[in-house]
Amino acid sequence: MADFSDAMNITASGMRAQAARLRHVSENIANADTPGYHRKTISFASVVEAGQSIGQVETGRVRLDRSALDQVHDPSHPMADANGNYDGSNVNLLIEIADAREAQRSYEANLKLFDQVRQMSTSLMDLLRR
Amino acid sequence: MEIRSNPVAQAYAANRPATAPDPNLDTSNTFGQVASGFIETLKQSEQTAMSSMSGGADPHALVQALAQTELAVETAVTVRDKLVEAYQEILRMPV
Repeated sequence: MADFSDAMNITASGMRAQAARLRHVSENIANADTPGYHRKTISFASVVEAGQSIGQVETGRVRLDRSALDQVHDPSHPMADANGNYDGSNVNLLIEIADAREAQRSYEANLKLFDQVRQMSTSLMDLLRR
Repeated sequence: MEIRSNPVAQAYAANRPATAPDPNLDTSNTFGQVASGFIETLKQSEQTAMSSMSGGADPHALVQALAQTELAVETAVTVRDKLVEAYQEILRMPV
């Protein structure tokens, strides 16, 4: 049964990682109009225990996207400079939506596998029962 | 002429210690490991369920712990049923 429970642990770690990714994507989308906001990116890494990888995934440090901020022309804005521009955010909604959809697909795949592991172990036990 | 008690009874008395429980048996054998792993899984799942109800743990951990408990309980119940069935089969044997 150790393989089944290991597989369950690994898929659960995958779901956790995708949920964390979705959390940061939603943060980026919510702050798309915040002046001076840099979009956040999150990295994935495999979990290492006692010097070797155990197959699970975890989310690493949150990094800020250092690309140039969007210049928005609005002379009436209180933060506008001499040319009437102010720093917007560097969030691209298309990228964020695509990222969110990718997280959803990956989450679904992990969920499917979790369910499959459960079904496999249940049908193995059903074999003994008859 | 030498009078001895029934040799069958003697043999029975000699073989009895084989079925007595051994108090010094270590639990590092396979079945002991399985049983302690089962108890550990149940404990962990209860802890996770409690902390999830009080808002501490994330739902993934809860689902994972409950699924593993379901697996463990199912295994234990199936093995127990099989053992009891085998024992009843022996009891039904015509002597």
